[in-house]
Amino acid sequence: MIELKSVTKSYSEAAKVVDRLDLKVYEGEFVILIGESGCGKTTTMKMLNRLVEPTEGQIIIDGQDIMKMDPIQLRRRIGYVIQKVGLFPHMTVGENIEVIPKLMKWDKEKRKARTMELLDMVGLPGETYYDRYPDEMSGGQQQRIGVARALATNPDIILMDEPFSALDPMTREQLQDELLKLQDELHKTIIFVTHDMDEALKLGDKIAVMKDGKILQYDTPERILKKPKDAYVEFFVGKDRLWKSPEMVYAKDIMRKNVARTSMTRTVSHALELMKKRGVNTLAVVEKQSDQPQEVLGFITRKELAKAMNEDMKIKDIMNKDVPVISEDMNMVDVLDYLAQNKLQHVYVVDEEKKLSGIVSESSIVNLITEMITDYEESKEEKKHEQ
Amino acid sequence: MNNKASFLEFIGGRYVEILELALQHIQITGIAVGFAILIGVPLGIMITRYRNTSNLVLGIANVFQTVPSLALFGLVIPFLGVGLTPSVFVLFLYALLPIIKNTYIGISNIDPSTIEAGKGMGMTGYQILTQVEVPLALPVIMGGIRISTVINIGTATIASLIGAGGLGDLIFKGISMYNNNLILAGAIPTALLALSMDAILGFVEMMLEPKGRRKMKKTFV
Repeated sequence: MIELKSVTKSYSEAAKVVDRLDLKVYEGEFVILIGESGCGKTTTMKMLNRLVEPTEGQIIIDGQDIMKMDPIQLRRRIGYVIQKVGLFPHMTVGENIEVIPKLMKWDKEKRKARTMELLDMVGLPGETYYDRYPDEMSGGQQQRIGVARALATNPDIILMDEPFSALDPMTREQLQDELLKLQDELHKTIIFVTHDMDEALKLGDKIAVMKDGKILQYDTPERILKKPKDAYVEFFVGKDRLWKSPEMVYAKDIMRKNVARTSMTRTVSHALELMKKRGVNTLAVVEKQSDQPQEVLGFITRKELAKAMNEDMKIKDIMNKDVPVISEDMNMVDVLDYLAQNKLQHVYVVDEEKKLSGIVSESSIVNLITEMITDYEESKEEKKHEQ
Repeated sequence: MNNKASFLEFIGGRYVEILELALQHIQITGIAVGFAILIGVPLGIMITRYRNTSNLVLGIANVFQTVPSLALFGLVIPFLGVGLTPSVFVLFLYALLPIIKNTYIGISNIDPSTIEAGKGMGMTGYQILTQVEVPLALPVIMGGIRISTVINIGTATIASLIGAGGLGDLIFKGISMYNNNLILAGAIPTALLALSMDAILGFVEMMLEPKGRRKMKKTFV
């Protein structure tokens, strides 16, 4: 675990680059530091391997105060990847990756075996690339080597300072995908600095939005999107972001919570009355009316009611027992798929205990989309005014 | 025709002396450049570490370079007298600037991200210097050594005025005796020496170019 306790970095009394910052990063977490240039994100990261020394505060890695550790030993325990890669041009790919293993006196076979394994891991077959020089390779390939080099001694922590910012969008996306795949296998603790919100949302388990040397919000990507803590975070995330990431919108965000419901023993006439009163075309059927969470046993629509022989028939005799339900955390894309594939107009949402928590109907989706478009238009207007 | 034939005869008759003087010449420049490397390279590295000293050090080295060599030879006589020592000392001062400057430039021009990567992954300052900075700056440093050597071979002829010996002896003897053959017997080997050293050191410089570098900016003084 990495823990920053009230860490401050200042170069003069007036200007605090990092201002009493607290941050906890648990093992295996992929944490993004994001903010505009000058917000202190890179400085914060560089304090973790003591390329920058904090003015005040404490940084603790796995229970040890890093200021009491030898900086060289500390850095060898932490992988480091930077935007400009910084490969040594006079060394081959293999030599570049083996710099630290060699300084740590690994024997030659062990070094080479590890390097070959790493090269395969980053998608550059060792047989082809081991003896190449960095200048012969593309930017994307060089950064793959940069990642392999950071992993050479198998450190638990990796620091990445805008590693993909200098690459073209296609290569960037490819490397992001591969980094995610690598992380699935390796479970490193990654601190990743970027100014690109799309990248942050895609990669991070958690995102720390920084401004003026402080963390404004430290949360999951989903919560940053949906519950920005203040106007700055909202502005930084961009109002239209949720619109662009429908996979981050879940059933529980779009469902209507107040589901019209009736009980098994009610009559057809009562059900018709209720539909008229609530202005709905469908009712969920539960054991009996109550405010407690309930299981949904069936549903009825106007069609079943119309088919009923007489108005005194009980609901339980005519209801559809085959109830379509989805879980609260199904994302919007999957919900739409589900509705389309099963030719449904609505679907009930149930919580973890299978109790009814809401309903998603075609109309609630239309409402949501309308809202999003309005927001989107507004944010476009705002941007126009800013310019 | 006649002149040329007599010049060759002249050389033929004195080739032992010319060879001896040429060896002496090489010796003087070699010692001077050797000391300049021993002092200049570390000094050049030092001023990349303490940037605020770089102007001072390069400034002082520049001053020696701008003082006319003849005057400088004269100026050291009261302190060091005449002979080999003051000559080598003056030539050493002349050789310093290109070596310090090229070392400084060679190391300063290395992409800072290369150094940052080395530091960030846990190399010590000494490891970065010996494994990254010096190998990358070596061709540029070698360029400085080459320039110093070529300049010194020329300047060393003047050193014979304060008793250093070398090919300058023949030239000055020729001047005082109005003997063109004698002047040429000193000047031509000096020029050949300078040209061949330039070629040899230029080749060494090329060989020191790291394999992985297709091209690297060379900075000459």
